[in-house]
Amino acid sequence: MLPQLIANSLIAGSIIILAAIGFGLIYGTARFFHFAQAATITAGAYLTLLGQELFSLPVPLAAVLAVALCGLLGVAMDVCCFRPLRHRHASPLISLLASLGLYIVIQNVISLSFGDNQEVIVAGSGEIPASLLGARLLPVQMAIMATSLTLLLGVAALLRGTRIGKACRAVACDPVLSRTCGVDPDRTLLVVFAIGSALGGAAGVLIALDVGMTPQMGLSVLLLGVVAVIVGGVGSFPGIILGGLLLGFTQHFATWVLGAQWQESIAFGVLLLFLVWRPQGWLGQQLETTTG
Amino acid sequence: MDYALHLAIITCIYIILSVSLDLIAGYTGILSLAHAAFYGIGAYTTALVAVHLRLPFVWCLAVSLVAAMALGGIVSAPALRIRGDYLVIATFGFQVIFYHALSNWTDFTGGPMGVFGIPQPTVLGYTVTSRSGFLLLTVWLTGICVWACRRLAKAPFGRVLQGIREDEIFTLALGKSISTYKVKVTVIGAVMAAVAGALYASYISFIDPTSFSIMESILILAIVIIGGAGTIWGPALGACLLVTVPELLRFIGIPAAIAPNLRQILYGGLLMGFAIWRPQGLLGRYAFR
Repeated sequence: MLPQLIANSLIAGSIIILAAIGFGLIYGTARFFHFAQAATITAGAYLTLLGQELFSLPVPLAAVLAVALCGLLGVAMDVCCFRPLRHRHASPLISLLASLGLYIVIQNVISLSFGDNQEVIVAGSGEIPASLLGARLLPVQMAIMATSLTLLLGVAALLRGTRIGKACRAVACDPVLSRTCGVDPDRTLLVVFAIGSALGGAAGVLIALDVGMTPQMGLSVLLLGVVAVIVGGVGSFPGIILGGLLLGFTQHFATWVLGAQWQESIAFGVLLLFLVWRPQGWLGQQLETTTG
Repeated sequence: MDYALHLAIITCIYIILSVSLDLIAGYTGILSLAHAAFYGIGAYTTALVAVHLRLPFVWCLAVSLVAAMALGGIVSAPALRIRGDYLVIATFGFQVIFYHALSNWTDFTGGPMGVFGIPQPTVLGYTVTSRSGFLLLTVWLTGICVWACRRLAKAPFGRVLQGIREDEIFTLALGKSISTYKVKVTVIGAVMAAVAGALYASYISFIDPTSFSIMESILILAIVIIGGAGTIWGPALGACLLVTVPELLRFIGIPAAIAPNLRQILYGGLLMGFAIWRPQGLLGRYAFR
């Protein structure tokens, strides 16, 4: 019982981390709450289904294509919606509202095209759960853990070690100053949206392979990621890991006591506790709070 | 004719919701996504009190207002510590927890099945049975709410709220306790939303959690933004437009199966378009800078 519970918590934690990386990358650089990332996550899942069912592609190929298309979707969102907003010097709250609108549009387009019922991707080969220290894991669940760890390290390396990563951090700090230093914020953010959305799409694909998909899946997945980012501390990679694992373990152990239907409420309960007592998160820097 | 009366009642309910959210979001700058929770607590309290205790409408209303006050006080707590987009997420959290409580606390709220058989309201010994009678009651309560919001907004109270929105430190320096004002305005907004909820529950006579989900909160916020935050008439106009315009879909022959999705696409598209091209809304001056 206990090994299985720990394994489930780790899987849930990895999914949350996966959702958190893409959101955290965009939030850390563009500095607004990109709600439409939820639509990107859902799009990743449904594009895989489309590729597999309509064009009868093998599942891995469909998954990779879906991730790439999600990157393109992110680019389109930035060009059509967020770049005009930036050029008008819109505040983060206005960008948030626009992103919320965008989310509603895309989510409803998906639910119009595919219906509101749950869909599953039939992976073909019968999957045999592997036994690990007394816990049973499906191959796709191991893939989720491996992918989320790899992507997390990859994004960390990208931000720390490459030119584009440096440009991202510069734009996050001060878009105007970075422009005077020859870093184009628009181009940098385009790359950030492409990578961030592809990461979101990857999360959607893996979750779809594990438990299936509904048009509403993206929002709850994204929100768990958001909670992990805030609880861990914005802009901190160890923070994302800690936040994701904390949520994963809290959820599963609380589910054991209370029942599965309270999972999301528990996640938000954790968030609210953090927001009131430690708004900068576990490992984050001081953030703007109210006075008085 | 019945259809027109129905539309008028629904429009009035949304006017109350959007004008009260405008006090919180437009005047004070607390961009709240928890308004459907206040709406829901009003509707559920009225429904449960009316069904189980068989009390007259006025008593149901009174109990819902007290419940909404308590919830408003709780929801305003994070606003004392954080602001901006973090506060949006915090109110979102309350909304999600409230929704889950409605759908999972089955013994008390009826869960996904909802509450049915809510009796028609009895006001001053007269039971409102017809649509036109209900419209009269709704218009009367809407009038009181809009009038109260307008008075509050014009009063020194409203100017302090706008001060908090524009510059918290400056308002604090004027000797105003901004925490107290934030709690007060959230409670007032919550109480008015509960009035709308009480009306909705006794009008429809059946409620379930889906009417009070996060989508509802987003819709109410969209009405405020599109109408014009920081004015009273803006959200009222927004409510009229956003409730009636989607009904036109019905007349141009859109199948009923896809109409709800198209309606939401319209709301989302409008919200996005207004954010880009006219963030202050139709009649507004304030644009969440």
